[in-house]
Amino acid sequence: MDKTQFLLWVSLVLFSIGLLGLIVRRNLLVMLMCMELMLNGVNLSLVTFAQRGGNVEGAVMVFLIFIVAASEIAIAIPIVLLLVRHRRTLDAGAYTDLKG
Amino acid sequence: MSDLLGLIVLLPLAGFLFNGLLGTRLGGERLNETAVNVVACALPGLSFVLTLMCFFQLEASGKPLIEATYTWATIGGQRFEVGFWFDRLSAVMTLVVTGVGTLIHIYSIGYMHGDKSHARYFAYLNLFLFFMLLLVLGRSLLVMFVGWEGVGLASYLLIGFWFDDPAKAAAGKKAFITNRIGDAGFLVGMFLLWGTFGTLDMDTINAGFLGPKAPAVSASLVGLALFIGACGKSAQIPLHVWLPDAMAGPTPVSALIHAATMVTAGIYLVARMSGIYSHAPEASAVVAAIGVATAFFAATIAVAQTDIKKVLAYSTVSQLGLMFVALGVGAYAVAIFHVVTHAFFKACLFLGSGSVIHALGGEQDIRKMGGLAKKIPITFVTFAIATAAIAGIPPLAGFFSKDEILWFAFASPHGGAVWLWALASAASLMTSFYMFRLLWLTFFGASRMTPEVEHHVHESPWSMTGVLIVLALLSAVGGFIPVVHYLEPQWPLPAVPEALHHHERNLIFVAVALAFAGLALAWWFFSGDASRATRVRERLAGVHRWLTNKYYIDELYEALLGRPLTWLSDRVFLQLGDRTLIDGTLHALAAGAQRGAAAFGALQAGSLHRYALYVVVGALAAVLWSLRHG
Amino acid sequence: MIIEDLLLLLFASAAVAGAVLMLVLRHPMRVALALIATMISLGGIYGLLGVHVIAVFQIMIYVGAVMVFMVYAIMLLDVRDPSFTERYSTLLWPGVAACTVLAGVLVGAAWQGQAPLLKGAGDAFGVQAFSVAFLDRYWLYFELTSVLLVVAVLAAVAVVKLRSARRG
Repeated sequence: MDKTQFLLWVSLVLFSIGLLGLIVRRNLLVMLMCMELMLNGVNLSLVTFAQRGGNVEGAVMVFLIFIVAASEIAIAIPIVLLLVRHRRTLDAGAYTDLKG
Repeated sequence: MSDLLGLIVLLPLAGFLFNGLLGTRLGGERLNETAVNVVACALPGLSFVLTLMCFFQLEASGKPLIEATYTWATIGGQRFEVGFWFDRLSAVMTLVVTGVGTLIHIYSIGYMHGDKSHARYFAYLNLFLFFMLLLVLGRSLLVMFVGWEGVGLASYLLIGFWFDDPAKAAAGKKAFITNRIGDAGFLVGMFLLWGTFGTLDMDTINAGFLGPKAPAVSASLVGLALFIGACGKSAQIPLHVWLPDAMAGPTPVSALIHAATMVTAGIYLVARMSGIYSHAPEASAVVAAIGVATAFFAATIAVAQTDIKKVLAYSTVSQLGLMFVALGVGAYAVAIFHVVTHAFFKACLFLGSGSVIHALGGEQDIRKMGGLAKKIPITFVTFAIATAAIAGIPPLAGFFSKDEILWFAFASPHGGAVWLWALASAASLMTSFYMFRLLWLTFFGASRMTPEVEHHVHESPWSMTGVLIVLALLSAVGGFIPVVHYLEPQWPLPAVPEALHHHERNLIFVAVALAFAGLALAWWFFSGDASRATRVRERLAGVHRWLTNKYYIDELYEALLGRPLTWLSDRVFLQLGDRTLIDGTLHALAAGAQRGAAAFGALQAGSLHRYALYVVVGALAAVLWSLRHG
Repeated sequence: MIIEDLLLLLFASAAVAGAVLMLVLRHPMRVALALIATMISLGGIYGLLGVHVIAVFQIMIYVGAVMVFMVYAIMLLDVRDPSFTERYSTLLWPGVAACTVLAGVLVGAAWQGQAPLLKGAGDAFGVQAFSVAFLDRYWLYFELTSVLLVVAVLAAVAVVKLRSARRG
């Protein structure tokens, strides 16, 4: 087993754990953090492949993902704040207005 | 010159279109009525003139006129052509149809004056004439069948002409449905002939049967199938039930359709396909048997009827039976002869009864008539002449034709028998009896009319009485038209064996004696105050009830056929088939769709976690699929 | 080489451990700290792989900006919440099952022989090579990211302002 394969597995495990966390955790902020974990897993796989192939495009893409993740968090957290201000709870089970 | 046949057929159709589409729209009621009258009577008259021209052409050339108009359809390798055929038989029939038809159109001018559906009446009458001409002039059985169905349609439209009365509408329906039952037989016959000959041209089929090699299909089978159709159209037992009900239509309709022309279509069919029947002794025997049975039974019913038109209706059924007797024993030309004379005197009788009804303001019950001879003399004289003709009093028309029928019923080698002759003669005796009974009760004796009706009795206008006079004259001298001799080259009379020849004069005497006997009996029973008849009626009350109720045949049909069919329609087809199966299936489909939608709606619970799980499941499915097919 | 492999293993384990802790810990603040630990470990992995630029930016942007903001939000919203006592949603076991299967499938799919790592790839990922690539070939996306950041700032402000405008 070489490094690339190992790191690929790690990235897949991180991604899966992030996805699992999104499904199982109730706290909205924790769910956001799990999404960040997913992004990190993906970043790891991108960097691994870039390093193996010797091309820099993978790194460039990771950098762009950084920017996007930051912007996303910049919007997502205010939204969560506003939701919580309205309903006074961070429990995802309380937000079922899109039902049906 | 060879377009004349098509023109003869199409002129009444033009009349139908004009009267139907424009008859009420020409502006002004008087103008509408006059225009419709002129168009409706002129076009059949023109057809009559053209028929005469074709007749002279036929005489000149000696060969039948054939017109192939157009090809209706080409299916597979088979072609269905619309063609017309004019030989001696067609000439006779067409002359009667157009001639008597025109007369009746003229009569209708007076009879239907003031009716609110005046234009519709003449449109339908012209339509009928179009289909009838198609029937008698058609070259193939297919064209004839189109005309056959069309006259059934026109008959339905005209019987139910005053459709606001549900009983009249029901009578029209009954006529159409009974006709259609017969048509099933006609269709079967056509299928058999088509399968055997590959064509439906009647001349080819006849030649095929008369030729040296016997065709593959049984002549009796085809003959019986076609005869079933003729039974429906010509009101023979067991499909006779529609004709008395058809009297619900206007009287000129009864005269034209149910006396002179449509009901004779069955006779025409059998006579035309004589090639088949001359080689089908079993079928011919059935034809003769049913004919004489119908003649007898209808005559017995007519004796007890009290509606002037119903008596004439049963008389028509009976006379048609006699015509079928002639056909059944092979005397085809004699049957056609009787068709011609019957057209004259029966039309005269019906139109005369229409005149009586018109005079009495709508009264049709002969128990409420009487003493009309002096009040409506022209109607009376013409009616009397026609009555004498149908009774068979020489030298009027009916005597000649009926006598020939009776003679061949006795003496024909193709099925003539004493019992046939005896029953037919009994029917003739009864014919004479009930016709003179009708005459007596209607025109003689003390008046049994209500005072208001009696006050308004008046002779009919010249458009009606003129036609009556013409028809009465024809009834008188029509027997001298040499129809049988004219048709003999193609429809030879059966060769009577030598041994029976000497009976001929005796039978003539018997026939004449029976005719006068009927007259005498009617006078005996019904003159004066008809007290003797009343006594007999009371003594034979049971028999009388059976006769008045037409042997309860309508009730029998209702119980045997009507009610089971209604039950089937209601319980099986409506409840089970339509409601449970079809509606139920649709409702189940809709309910299933709704339940499916509700189930899918439950997927959207608004829960983020659940959506995330769906994403995982979807991603898993996508990955697995791409791994398998990648 | 041995030390590098050992470090790699260490950082990788730390990352996975941090991730697992994220699922298990109750208080959001501790979850955030676990995530920070994961991110720092990943930064370490990047450094070991030779992509120093990305490693540095990982720490700066992710840990320094994103997680700080997250911690700030958690501190702001210390609500005694049912999500504290009831950590897990109702879909715990279906989720575990599905994600285990997914992970297994993906990992199994990745079980293939790979070409060996290229040696000396460090130079290709130096700052110099990185900047050249970015500003020479991918300059459009670089500019677009700036636009994206501006838009994000504006959007954040607008979201808060709108709400308060409607309510007030």
